[in-house]
Amino acid sequence: MKVLIVDDEEVIVESLMPVLTGQGHDVISAGNAARALEAVARGGIDLVLLDLGLPDIDGIEIIAKIKELSDAAIVILSARHLEADKVRALDEGSDDYVNKPFGIGELLARIRAVERRRAARTGELASTFESRELSVNFATREVVRLGEKVRLSPKEFALLETLCRHAGQVVTQRRLMVAGWNDPQADNQYLRSYMSLLRQKLEYDPSEPELVLTEPGVGYRLSVTPLD
Amino acid sequence: MKPNDAFEFARTILQGAFGNLLIFCAATGAVYLAQNADRPITAVLVYLTGVVLIGARSGLLSGLLAALGASLIYNFFLSEPAFRFGAASADEVVPLIAFNVSAIVSGAAAGRLKDSVRKATVAEAKNAFLLRMSDGLQKALKPSDVARIASAFLPVQGLAGLEIYLTRDGALYSPREDGEIAVDGMSALMPPDGSHGSTMSFKVHALQGTDCELGLVKFLFHERSRSRGELPDLKAIANLLGLTLDRCMLLEKLAEGRAAQRSEELKSAILSSVSHDLRTPLTAIEAAASSLRSFDASLSANQKLRMLRTIEEQCEQLNRYTANLLDMGKIQAGISSTGFETVDLLDILGVVVASIRRKHSGQVINKEYDLANALVFANAVMLEQAIFNIMENAVLHNDRSAPLQLRLYAESGEAVLEITDDGPGIRPADQSRIFERFYKSSGSARSEGSGLGLYIAQGFVSAFDGRVELFSPVLGGRGTTMTVRLPLLTEESQPGARA
Repeated sequence: MKVLIVDDEEVIVESLMPVLTGQGHDVISAGNAARALEAVARGGIDLVLLDLGLPDIDGIEIIAKIKELSDAAIVILSARHLEADKVRALDEGSDDYVNKPFGIGELLARIRAVERRRAARTGELASTFESRELSVNFATREVVRLGEKVRLSPKEFALLETLCRHAGQVVTQRRLMVAGWNDPQADNQYLRSYMSLLRQKLEYDPSEPELVLTEPGVGYRLSVTPLD
Repeated sequence: MKPNDAFEFARTILQGAFGNLLIFCAATGAVYLAQNADRPITAVLVYLTGVVLIGARSGLLSGLLAALGASLIYNFFLSEPAFRFGAASADEVVPLIAFNVSAIVSGAAAGRLKDSVRKATVAEAKNAFLLRMSDGLQKALKPSDVARIASAFLPVQGLAGLEIYLTRDGALYSPREDGEIAVDGMSALMPPDGSHGSTMSFKVHALQGTDCELGLVKFLFHERSRSRGELPDLKAIANLLGLTLDRCMLLEKLAEGRAAQRSEELKSAILSSVSHDLRTPLTAIEAAASSLRSFDASLSANQKLRMLRTIEEQCEQLNRYTANLLDMGKIQAGISSTGFETVDLLDILGVVVASIRRKHSGQVINKEYDLANALVFANAVMLEQAIFNIMENAVLHNDRSAPLQLRLYAESGEAVLEITDDGPGIRPADQSRIFERFYKSSGSARSEGSGLGLYIAQGFVSAFDGRVELFSPVLGGRGTTMTVRLPLLTEESQPGARA
């Protein structure tokens, strides 16, 4: 993938560059929003790693422009405590986020999730989802967990499908409410109840989920252990 | 004057008049008897006594009226020649003069007495008012209290209201509960607005403190009261207000001084914490990194791996420490409920338990949850942080082989989360201080904590209207239970609930 790192801290760019290159990516960087947009406009970028604290304008402001100029995926690099910013950035169209400071393993996992989604591209048309624990057929609505068939209600299935189509990536409450109720303002009490039902059917211990994880203040994430 | 007052006034007058009439009639009767018994001197004396009595009772005017009446009756009916006016001899004239002179003297004396009684009463009322106000003002703690408390005693004795303006750096301001309001110097000296009625007048007095002028007080009163001299002693009130304001300002200065001292103490605590808790991991990282670079050839693969792990662990330590400092800042700045939402405590508990298991993989955790959900109103990330801090604190002090016990249940409208370890317990001396900033218990098994974890947990949980409690020892002189209590949202009280 062609990756653009947008961060004004050179030390971060310098430490990410060799790792990502080593993973087989083609990596370029930009120190501010204006240069980032120029790079995106030149085309060919698959993934933008975007720091929100840029010297010229707020990183959130350029998410929509990046989306307009290209179909690059966007992963936000953000401070842990700014969950409101994360939700805004996700609503603006970014795909995921990593809390700063992050272990490189976490970042690579996020990048893999983006890759997976782009490989299944055009992802919305993928007909199945497969991971070590879970196998979902979107056409037949068949869900198999560790070899056992699981019966889901239509709402539960709609939520699971959305999580699977963004497997490994955070999905905001808002996006799930659109998926389940076609209404971003729907009462999130319904969402909570259905996610709880989903966990009871899919998790070994619903009080300590391993598949459908909670991202406090943001949404949910389907954890994936890829098939070897 | 209100209708009731007028009625009262008329009644007093009538009662006085009736009493005087009674005295006059009784005296006339006695004089008639004495005259008939041919005792003219007794008759005159009796009449004289009546006139004096009336004069003393009701003052000069009533006394003179009685004297006139007595003169006429005595002259016309009683003295010779009867049923005719006129005085034939000095004997006849003297009683008439005596009546009138004694009426004048006794009336004037009575009037003076009454006046001084009335004056004394008014003075007493004024003093009583000053005393009451002084008592009330004892309670004032802030300059803004002074005008409020003083105004609560008004209106009294024609004084309708007062306004206080303080001076600072040559400018006037009006002290208020919600801060100070700068006031245009002219408007303080302008006549009051129409809200008190159009007949209002005002007078400005300086407020004198012990060593400088504090400002002004503007008294509002009815013009009529002023002309009648009924107003309380404005100067005395101004002095009283000045003294109270002086005291309040000193109190404020004292409080400011204490706050400054506390903030100094906090600053030095932060500095000493930063210098220790930042330097320790930095030293370890630098040592490990420079060894790796300088002695690459002589280190075994295992040693290198251990150094790299040290660097990673210490980075995480630094990260946690800076996050703690940020959280402390948040608590000090005050946490607003704007980012709060309905959160399932059970959900957060799942996240926290997962990260504790990741970080402390050897720790066995026993769960006993009696609730299918536990909805509370909170900020999800802060709640996660608070519970993580408490749980990790328990793990760090736990006896490694013993399981950590988690219990979640509902009790009187609250979600109760109990986290129990089997550590050595917390000494009573430490229990009261364990939630303080930068406090590390003396017997602390590990020194790696910053002393902020429980302070932050407590601060966050209180922001959600909950509380953190501690019980130690729990069983057989060992173990500690930390309890987090948070108000449960019922179906109806949920902000987003629908019928």
